[in-house]
Amino acid sequence: MNFSLTEEQKTLRESIVRFARNELNEDVVERDRTQTFRRDLWTKCGEMGILGLPIPEEYGGSGLDVLSTAIALEALGYGCSDAGFVFSISAHLLPCVVPIGTFGTEEQKKRLLPDLCGGKRIAANAMTEPGTGSDAFAMKTRAVRDGRGFRLAGTKMFCSNGPIADLAVVFAVTDPEKGYHGGITTFLVEKETEGFRASQKFEKMGLRTSPIGELVLENAFVSEDAVLGGVGGGATVFAHSMDWERILLFATHVGTMERLLEKAVEYARIRTQFGQPIGKFQGVSHKIADMKVRLEAARLLVYRSAWKLGERKSVSMDASITKLFVSESLLETALDTVQVLGGYGFMTEYEVERALRDAIGSTIYSGTSEMQRNIIARWLGL
Amino acid sequence: MDEGIKQTIKEYILKEFLPGERPDALGDSTPLVSGGILDSIATLKLVAFLEERYEIRLEAHEASAENLNTIEEIARLVQSKKG
Ligand SMILES: Cc1cc2nc3c(=O)[nH]c(=O)nc-3n(C[C@H](O)[C@H](O)[C@H](O)COP(=O)(O)OP(=O)(O)OC[C@H]3O[C@@H](n4cnc5c(N)ncnc54)[C@H](O)[C@@H]3O)c2cc1C
Repeated sequence: MNFSLTEEQKTLRESIVRFARNELNEDVVERDRTQTFRRDLWTKCGEMGILGLPIPEEYGGSGLDVLSTAIALEALGYGCSDAGFVFSISAHLLPCVVPIGTFGTEEQKKRLLPDLCGGKRIAANAMTEPGTGSDAFAMKTRAVRDGRGFRLAGTKMFCSNGPIADLAVVFAVTDPEKGYHGGITTFLVEKETEGFRASQKFEKMGLRTSPIGELVLENAFVSEDAVLGGVGGGATVFAHSMDWERILLFATHVGTMERLLEKAVEYARIRTQFGQPIGKFQGVSHKIADMKVRLEAARLLVYRSAWKLGERKSVSMDASITKLFVSESLLETALDTVQVLGGYGFMTEYEVERALRDAIGSTIYSGTSEMQRNIIARWLGL
Repeated sequence: MDEGIKQTIKEYILKEFLPGERPDALGDSTPLVSGGILDSIATLKLVAFLEERYEIRLEAHEASAENLNTIEEIARLVQSKKG
């Protein structure tokens, strides 16, 4: 077992951190306040190869293995202080671009991946509905056969990138009798499709630079070549997307935790009270020591799960463990960073109150903490 | 049909999803999906077990009610995949 990064992985990490710091961090406080998504920065990320990290080069991606993709995303979370923007990238890449790369036909991959990887088009994943979140497979959206295609009807809720998406990866019921077991199908629905539209956009507590909204399908017709992973393959496509998301989206959070830790250490060394740096008080230093412990444990979990995913082994339980631990660690670390910075931490300008607001969603999206514990318990045979 | 495959699958299902159940309560044609024994997570576990044990890969659309509803059908799927 060798835990060191290769020279290529180190260079990859450094180049992404440099790129993110130089290009992505302008006016983040203002962007957050006005809920602004920066399309020009998206284009830059496309040029940099970030929007197609694990996709083979022949389809416009960067051709990285899964572990290197995790290292790259961690670097992005570390270097880019706009967590909403990083979240939009993850929501595009992990449950949209990756499953197209895995389950797409040659025609679908050639048609869609170059623009998605290159920053010309944005994708959104549409699973959740107004009435179904944790119990995702109880969805109501239906797809009914119509000649050489399907008509889709239903409403999808909380779609990250929904308001700006050119393509949506939509899950719908094709056979209510079969339900989860072969009755759910994944469709690639393009923005121009008649009867398909982005509806309500939501304002949210954190990740405000990542637009989120409702997608509505009103008997939208898609042809057979919009089906991803075969008719009835939706449950497998979704499980695979969640394996990627629960490991690699959370790699970005490891980077965020490292950035917050550095901020807390720096502040605790220079801020003095009672004649000494606050970091000399055990009440402060122990909090920061715990941040370091969570960071290292979170990183190991992400790396191991990413490696296992790359080996094409079953990783569902590992993905849940990783998601649960990293999200709860991120939340604690963000809260502790605000506490260490005291009154300054509570002020917007210091950019840690935003990190806390951004962190809160992590125990909800990609399946709530409660659901991850349920999944882990089930894998243990309980 | 390879009886060994059926037996292995039966033992796995009994151990994982029906702890404490009498072995004769689970037949080769007991409905697993429509009978509520295989829900979403149980199915993920079963597919992971089959893929690892028999060194096969199931396509997205193959993890369906037709292929997984009974031990008989699961064994047939495994057999066809093993070639
Ligand atoms: C920032 C953000 C981005 C998102 N992006 C997307 C996206 O791009 N695409 C998409 O499809 N969805 C997206 N979602 C939706 C997200 O996946 C759901 O919000 C999440 O799965 C929870 O579903 P729900 O909101 O309906 O809550 P519910 O499922 O109604 O849960 C409410 C509460 O009940 C608990 N609960 C429910 N069932 C159980 C149980 N069996 N045992 C114990 N507790 C339980 C939950 O843990 C939670 O605390 C996003 C959500 C957020 C916050």
